[in-house]
Amino acid sequence: MIKNNNLVLVTNNEIVETLKNKCQESSITFLFPVKDFCVGMPCFEIEEIKEESYIYINRILDKEGINNFKKLLKNLPSNIKGIVFDDIGILNILIETKSKLTKILFLSHSNCNYETINSFLEYADSVVISTDITKEETEEILKKAIKPLVLYAFGHVAIMYSRRTLLTNYNNHFKTNIEKETTLEESISKKSVKAIENNYGTMIYTNEPFNNLALQNSSNIFYNLINTLFIPTEDIIKILNNNTDNFEDKYPYKYLSEEETIFRIKEERP
Amino acid sequence: MIELLAPAGNLERLKIAYLYGADACYIGGYRFSLRANAINFSNSELKEACEFAHNLNKRVYVTVNIVLHNKDLDGLKEYLEELADIGVDAIIISDIAVIKIIKDNNIPLEVHISTQASTLNAEAALFYKKLGAKRVVLAREANREDIKDIKDKTGLDLEGFIQGAMCTSFSGKCVLSNVFTNRDANRGGCAQICRWTFDIENEREPFSMTPKDLNMAKYIEDMINIGVNSFKIEGRMRSVYYIATIISEYRKIIDKIKMHNLKLNDILYSNDIMNRCANRESAPQFYDKFPSDKEQYYLGRTEESNQDFLGIVLESSDNEILLEQRNYFKIGDVVEFFGPNMEPFTYTITKIYNENHENIDIARHPRMLTYLSGLPKMSKGSMMRLKVFDKSNYL
Repeated sequence: MIKNNNLVLVTNNEIVETLKNKCQESSITFLFPVKDFCVGMPCFEIEEIKEESYIYINRILDKEGINNFKKLLKNLPSNIKGIVFDDIGILNILIETKSKLTKILFLSHSNCNYETINSFLEYADSVVISTDITKEETEEILKKAIKPLVLYAFGHVAIMYSRRTLLTNYNNHFKTNIEKETTLEESISKKSVKAIENNYGTMIYTNEPFNNLALQNSSNIFYNLINTLFIPTEDIIKILNNNTDNFEDKYPYKYLSEEETIFRIKEERP
Repeated sequence: MIELLAPAGNLERLKIAYLYGADACYIGGYRFSLRANAINFSNSELKEACEFAHNLNKRVYVTVNIVLHNKDLDGLKEYLEELADIGVDAIIISDIAVIKIIKDNNIPLEVHISTQASTLNAEAALFYKKLGAKRVVLAREANREDIKDIKDKTGLDLEGFIQGAMCTSFSGKCVLSNVFTNRDANRGGCAQICRWTFDIENEREPFSMTPKDLNMAKYIEDMINIGVNSFKIEGRMRSVYYIATIISEYRKIIDKIKMHNLKLNDILYSNDIMNRCANRESAPQFYDKFPSDKEQYYLGRTEESNQDFLGIVLESSDNEILLEQRNYFKIGDVVEFFGPNMEPFTYTITKIYNENHENIDIARHPRMLTYLSGLPKMSKGSMMRLKVFDKSNYL
């Protein structure tokens, strides 16, 4: 059986140390969200990152942000080996500067087909396959991709990214003091989502983690991406040690992978 | 080049948009377009739209802007070839697979990058420029400095939204609809979950993330000065009345800017007309500042529908018009006519005739045909609305 490597998105130093101690370190590449370049999770100062690792940038960058990224790139420590990012501007800079970093494009909610992914693979080393497609669509993409891809294997999925500070705005409007991380429950369906805000915007996540581990041993995978945000560390350890026997019961949520989405609610005219 | 760009969900709206002053329209075919539930255009209607526009020396852009799934690739090349044969002036895309197909097959189509790509910086725009894009539709989150920087560093044609509904999210970065309703936001099925309300534990007030609409009327001149070329109105699902009203007001603003005689009062009047037509409050949003709760809606918001749109002119002679009723009106109502190439004017209804030229007091039936007399000749497609604002109060 293929044993693919794991790209583990971490949000605090404690989990890094624990995983290093309790998991087979050779199968883990840590992915660190960088302060001022990420929304929706606790972040690291670049100086805090000691391991050979990748950095994560999920912000859509404005003029100031893209200029700051150029400065970051110039001063990047040598232990940073790769970068996972959402903004196409970053891709352009990495191409223009002939950066040696491993470039992984995580264009959230895009990259839903093999043609698009193969187009981006002309410029990037790998691409994170969209989570918004069915298992069958993912399998077809893996089969037809010209380079190994990153599979979002486990974790809460970011389902909305706003530039607005929505929780702060709520506090200001109603003179309340809710935390910058909270749960929102839709008033009628009673479905919940998680919201996290910082100065750069608000990210909304699924309330449950997407368990996509069934595909983790597929062919043509560069990394399995494990997002540790909101997940108990002991369960991350189990995933990384391949000890997930009861996970289908504990984490049954399959996100959008089991049913095709619809988009036309009336018939086409003849 | 300065262009006023209108949405059009069908042929009727497209023709109205051009008549009221749009330089270009953006429209969608039956497939590959993000407003899957608009009426949209068949291939023969796309052809008719292009012929109509080109006869007026105007342009047509076709949205091919869904996020493509594997099976959406079927028929895409053929569709793009058909669009090229039809003679559309450009396509608006968000998925670079479309560019690859165009290049690989030498399909002669101009490419504009959709706002779905959320282009907020010059480096991203340069990437698309290298791929062959002629124009970028700016992210709605772009502020003045971002836009100026993109223009200065790329020289690309820039298209910016100036009026209409806003997504809460960066465009293309939201799948709330997929998760809550299984309707695919990025393939045209958005159920607008961001306009629903949510509860927060232990908090009395419901949480809302709904933004007010965008309105850039007071910044159009500044946008022109920093290099925006195309001024885009949101709303392919909007009515003919909305399109006519919004396009005619922005047409006047742009023309007055060109003539160097735009005054603040003109903008205030136009904004009152437009806000009433849109039924929602509007604001410049990100252009001039970072938006706060003041640019959002919470419960208790002011969103009033009205019945201002009273009718559309089907025929006009020297003294009489044939009007198709769109909302109830009666003798004694003070109304206003507005239309292509004419200044709005006030009219008090003293007589109404039905289609048999019989006197009636009230036009109460939807789409009933009525005759009104004592009116100057005006273009087919002119409209009658309830008079709410008096321009003289703004002078």
